[in-house]
Amino acid sequence: MKNPKSKVKVQVSMGEGAVARAPQVVSSTGLGSCVAVALYDPQRRIGGLAHIMLPDSVSLNGHHGPYRCVNTAIATLLKKLRARGVTNRDIVAKIVGGARMFASYDGSETGIGDQNIVSVKHLLTREGIRLIGEDTGGHRGRSVEFHLDSGKLTVMVIGEEDKEI
Amino acid sequence: MNNVEVLSEEQLDFLGEMMNIGAGNAATALTQMVQRQVNLTIPKVHVLPAPEAPSILDDPSLPVLCIRMGMVGDAIGDLFFIVPDEQKENLTSLVERAVPWDSRRRDENPHPALSIPQSNDVDLSVLTEVGNIIAGVYLTAIHDFCGLNIYHCVPTLAVDMIQSLLDESFAAMSSQVEAIIVIENEFVINEHRIRTFFLFIPDPESVKSLVNSIGRARMAYGAG
Repeated sequence: MKNPKSKVKVQVSMGEGAVARAPQVVSSTGLGSCVAVALYDPQRRIGGLAHIMLPDSVSLNGHHGPYRCVNTAIATLLKKLRARGVTNRDIVAKIVGGARMFASYDGSETGIGDQNIVSVKHLLTREGIRLIGEDTGGHRGRSVEFHLDSGKLTVMVIGEEDKEI
Repeated sequence: MNNVEVLSEEQLDFLGEMMNIGAGNAATALTQMVQRQVNLTIPKVHVLPAPEAPSILDDPSLPVLCIRMGMVGDAIGDLFFIVPDEQKENLTSLVERAVPWDSRRRDENPHPALSIPQSNDVDLSVLTEVGNIIAGVYLTAIHDFCGLNIYHCVPTLAVDMIQSLLDESFAAMSSQVEAIIVIENEFVINEHRIRTFFLFIPDPESVKSLVNSIGRARMAYGAG
């Protein structure tokens, strides 16, 4: 991952994350069941975005990137933000994604998307971080742009107008 | 596209030959289904790391029509049949005279990105059947050459960006080695060419048994 300070636009792929500051824009595309979690300090205008695949790291063996699972992704973002002087009280969070793209075979059960959303919310509550926006669930893929100057997220869905949260 | 070092060059070629036999059978089946001559070009086989899957498309931010099928038996995972959205005009030549398939999908409105003039239900159902046929012929080819019994499950369809359609499968099978097999094909119907992709996404154990079986089969059939 390149030094985010060197570019205005930072791209985050599946299972990755980045910390950035104003006026940078962190973007991630193709969120299906994955969730993008944006953490933001409005005072310092610093934040981070992670493109997370799984609700927890328990089922994995040790060899995976830190941003792949909700618990390790948020912990990693928080660690990096703390290193920049940010505390949990300074941070607000937004979540995007967690859709179910295909009907499940038996028509029931919560999909990984739903589990990701629940896992993120649970962890944010535990960390004392306020969730102030979300665009989650449904059956559509999303792309997101996180604007560090304002803290706003632009959410893009094919065939629909862009949405801001 | 860089091929992951899961299969050797020779094994990759052999896999391509197997899939070519499958493609021939698919052409026969599709010709019968749509009542006009359908040919498939020689398949190109790629083995990729999971995060590079979207690179098979020229523009991964554009929508694709996607059939997903579970894979069970001697290999477990997911199968995908994908047609880029910009090919959808050419799809009408495939569906024009196809027998309407009375499959009831979950009650959602037709995807706004899909603007095929005919009834959307007929078009999408036919695509589901095409995906079914393609999966069937490729898995049969693997069975005939490698002796593996692999079956595909009931297809489901969605239209969206490729990354968003694949990520649940990647999450479900998240592990150290994530190699996916991509079979790239063109359907040729009269002057229309439809670029298609068939993806095998096996779980890590299944990748091993597939690789071993392909290796053994190649030795059994000789270097030729």
